[in-house]
Amino acid sequence: MTTRTWTSVGKTVAVVALLTFTLFPVYFMLSTALNGQNGSGTDSLVPSDFTLDNFSRAFTEDHFGRYMLNSAIVTVATVVVSGALAMLGAVAIARFRFRFRSTMLVLILIVQMLPAEALVIPLFLQMKDWRMLNSLLGLILVYIAFSLPFAIWNLQGFVAAVPRELEEAAYLDGCGWWRMFRSVLLPLVVPGLVATSAFSFVMAWEEFTFALTFLSKDDRLTVGVGLQRFFGAHVNDWGGLMAASTMVTIPVVVVFVLAQRRLGAGLVSGAVK
Amino acid sequence: MRESKTRPWLLLAGPLLVIAGLLLYPIVRVTTLSFQRYNLREVISGSPVFIGWDNYKQVFTGAPGLPGSYLWRTILPNTVVFAALAVILTIVLGTLVALLLQSVGPRVRALVIGAALIAWALPAVTGTYVWVWIFDPDNGVALHFLQSIGILGQEGHNWFTDRYSFYAIALLNVVHHSYPFVAITIFAGLLTVPTELHEAAKIDGASAWRRFWSITVPLMRPVFAVVTILSTIWDFKVFAQIYLMPGGDGSNPEVFNLGVWSYVSSINQTKYGLGSAIAVLLTVVLLLITLVYLRLLFREEDTA
Repeated sequence: MTTRTWTSVGKTVAVVALLTFTLFPVYFMLSTALNGQNGSGTDSLVPSDFTLDNFSRAFTEDHFGRYMLNSAIVTVATVVVSGALAMLGAVAIARFRFRFRSTMLVLILIVQMLPAEALVIPLFLQMKDWRMLNSLLGLILVYIAFSLPFAIWNLQGFVAAVPRELEEAAYLDGCGWWRMFRSVLLPLVVPGLVATSAFSFVMAWEEFTFALTFLSKDDRLTVGVGLQRFFGAHVNDWGGLMAASTMVTIPVVVVFVLAQRRLGAGLVSGAVK
Repeated sequence: MRESKTRPWLLLAGPLLVIAGLLLYPIVRVTTLSFQRYNLREVISGSPVFIGWDNYKQVFTGAPGLPGSYLWRTILPNTVVFAALAVILTIVLGTLVALLLQSVGPRVRALVIGAALIAWALPAVTGTYVWVWIFDPDNGVALHFLQSIGILGQEGHNWFTDRYSFYAIALLNVVHHSYPFVAITIFAGLLTVPTELHEAAKIDGASAWRRFWSITVPLMRPVFAVVTILSTIWDFKVFAQIYLMPGGDGSNPEVFNLGVWSYVSSINQTKYGLGSAIAVLLTVVLLLITLVYLRLLFREEDTA
């Protein structure tokens, strides 16, 4: 009896400690964002002056609305184009046996690990030559490329899981390949597309390195770099920064909760088939 | 089944074009740059100068303004030791959380998974700002807490100037952000371990500790291998988490890691050749880790 009590006490302590460590930064971000007076961290711990002023200030004085819009444009374009391209690539790899197929697979796994810090130097010089710094299109192109290898790798596991018999049934019914792709394969791979899009979404929404390097004009910034504008020369606007951080975090949490069940699926199972 | 020889290549044409133009060509260019002098003067004149291994010599034996042992004493410990500690802490915490998830009721489990998802979703950039705010040397909550219980005096303390406390905070940040993925993945793996094995071992009198090492670990080896190697790759190239901490953006060379050093040298100081050499070094290290990962994946494939 006593051992069992001690075990359950131990478990409770572990759960409480874990939840504190996990949620404290999130709580502290929210409580600072909602507090009118953030003279010191202790003031922000429990909001005494409950207000939404920090949010409205972030949007009116600090152009944060503009940054959110820029990030939304970049993210949607990246998710759509990289999802479409990844779908084509995933079907090629999962459904066809061709020469260099395993070479393709290894290539995709290798380019996936390339660090942004190595790519940013040549891409910065390239974009400068093309006069595409401060252009959202330039950033979108880079994000599509950056998210593509993982998207293909993740999606091809889902494509491979669709039974071939369904495809063959479509052919017997007289469908051409393209018709079969649209009416059979595509609808069945939607869950995989959701998971893949979630990863591309998060990458493009919060990307920092390329945005920091490519964007310098105030009206072109995305949220990842726009947050830096809250650091003044003398005083840091912690309330505004945390309000803006909250706005950056909310879409990601929504996407994670929606895609939750599928996030790990492609990564662990069916990685190489 | 009708298979044409051209169709896979038609499908791959778009993706391959993007990968070749925006990932492979830049890697070739950064390698070329690493053998050139390409500073502001060369950028303006448009003609880089080939200088052989000079940039690499600077990386290994000291660039102007930096001590000769900079790579060995500062950069490599900040990169390798940090990554090793972050990976170990992430895997240990992730495993403990997965085991905890297995032993609690469904409600607590949903609560813990929900909290972990939120920590996972907290963007690296905003998460870093929150940790910087917590440890702010002027008004931070950590400072006030330590002063109120008497550990710190009125003079306060700036954790960001000292390399070890700087990286201790970075470690908190990175582990907080990356343990949820590991915990959720390992928990999913634990569900596949047959309960009969544990029950049989229990009857034979094996302790929980013994059962973990003799049953869970061997069966879960592939899952542990995948999360360990992915974490290693991610923790080797942490950038925003360092760059956004005070001093990490270039003012305090004591706290750079490989990625930050490469970025500051090239983009901030316009020494593109030197920065490229550092970037190539980082890429080669990551490539070696990836090759281990690939061998592992394909070996699992063969035995499966």
